Amino acid sequence: MPVVEFLQFTLSGVVFGMIYAAIALSLVLIWRGTRLLNYAQGGMAMFTTYVAIEVVYRTGSYWAGFVVALAAGVVLGAVCQLTVIRPTMNKPPLNAVIVTIGLLILLEGLAGIFFGGQYRSFPAAFSITGLRIGTTPLGVSRFDVFVVAAVLVTTLALAAAFKYTSTGLRMRAAAFNATIARLSGIRVARMLTIGWALAGLLGALAGVLVSPSTFLYPNSMDAIFVFGFTAAVIGGLDSPVGAVVGGLLLGIALSYVAGYLGSKGSDLTSLVALGILVVVLMIRPDGLFSATKVRRV
Amino acid sequence: MSRAAAEHDGSPALAVEGLVAGYGGVVALDGVSISAGTGAITAVLGANGAGKTTLLRAVSGMIRPRRGRVLLGGADLAGRSPEQIVRAGIAHVPEGQGVIPELTVEENLRVGMMSWPGVLSRASGSPSRNSRAERAAALDEAYGRFRPLADRRRKLAATLSGGERQMLVIARALLSRPRVLLLDEPSLGLAPRIMAQVMDLVVRLSREQGLTIVLVEQNARSALAVADHGVVLNLGRVVASADAQTLASDVALRHHYLGF
Repeated sequence: MPVVEFLQFTLSGVVFGMIYAAIALSLVLIWRGTRLLNYAQGGMAMFTTYVAIEVVYRTGSYWAGFVVALAAGVVLGAVCQLTVIRPTMNKPPLNAVIVTIGLLILLEGLAGIFFGGQYRSFPAAFSITGLRIGTTPLGVSRFDVFVVAAVLVTTLALAAAFKYTSTGLRMRAAAFNATIARLSGIRVARMLTIGWALAGLLGALAGVLVSPSTFLYPNSMDAIFVFGFTAAVIGGLDSPVGAVVGGLLLGIALSYVAGYLGSKGSDLTSLVALGILVVVLMIRPDGLFSATKVRRV
Repeated sequence: MSRAAAEHDGSPALAVEGLVAGYGGVVALDGVSISAGTGAITAVLGANGAGKTTLLRAVSGMIRPRRGRVLLGGADLAGRSPEQIVRAGIAHVPEGQGVIPELTVEENLRVGMMSWPGVLSRASGSPSRNSRAERAAALDEAYGRFRPLADRRRKLAATLSGGERQMLVIARALLSRPRVLLLDEPSLGLAPRIMAQVMDLVVRLSREQGLTIVLVEQNARSALAVADHGVVLNLGRVVASADAQTLASDVALRHHYLGF
């Protein structure tokens, strides 16, 4: 039935859209603070997911792996910022970009050395059997519901922390105007480290949520990163709300493409994502939710 | 401290000695020494490129001085970070875009209290509650002094007029509880009537609160009208330093360096 099919594709799109939104948010967090695109974000997420899988296999507990992955994301984000990103501050912007690409290659290489290059399956927290209403399949499982809830709760918690806590205000002030923030006594460098740590957390979350659907291997997050990046650009790179909306729009659009075009559609998703990116950039170069004004030249 | 008490004190609140600073190969300050009397307004004047803004930036730590000392109550702050310097008691209001337009008026003001000692750094008592009450009281005081801000506390700072924005950045700087306030062109881009109000505010902060103010102004005439002391910079060096009236009545100096 076309309506049921449409609903299934939409719900499935929302699930993947939330994962893209998590990656997009992690990119936005860093972009807002430093005007730097972290190309290593996918690599970091892949690495923390490997850490999670090791913990799951050793302890037998999915949740131990889940929590360790998030903690590892926080630590990895902070360590990367302190060790390789901070020295590139006050240098030409390209330096930091190249460092993040180097970091990606390093993390993917290390993952191959430590964990091997073969495809590994990652467990899901809940059943991946499709839910039904009566006899009608919804196209989503309990685990998919968990994916949406986990990203939603994390996003709302982060939004509340930014809005209502002193550290949140410090981070926003540092991101919007580093000069004023420093002159007001805010340790901007520390805020950037916290930003990277939170970005690491979001990336790690995306990693453990997407891996049951994609398998885990050293390059497994590359495509997810590209979709997350597309979502962030659609949303405007500067806007957390835009990142979430961009993620959902992209997830749903790609789900329709894959769903309605069958096996051809699955092959086309990357191309369609690129097409959407180009169209958005042509119509609204600063994304759908950016406050920045464009100057025509 | 009242102004009368401040005048009895006699010692400068801020003394800059032999400051050398610049950008890359350019030396913008070449051995500048000034002293700002406690509770007084010291105007720093000069043409574009004289080094006025660089002087404030070097004092507040935005650029690192190559040589020289920045003395606040005897402590040398030269080379410290802006975060440390505002904590030591020097607040810098830079020229131009001083408000953070993406934040509300109240959030902008709360940013001004970020230099206060944190809960963890307090030794005793029930710091968290005291601190919260203290912050609320300080905000109320700011709203009491700057009524238009109180009415717009939940609005984004982007919605404020030019005069209100200047009011907001000065209010924010005062919330750091400074001993010395560095103001860089506070009248820049303001209508004459608003500019007069800002200058009135500067005078009141000095006269009523005993705040030491270093005022950088392109408009030398209006700066000297409110200042106690003036320093004229040219190409990174001090070419004159005297009380404001003396400078304002020196025709040759006005003609050469002050443009009026």
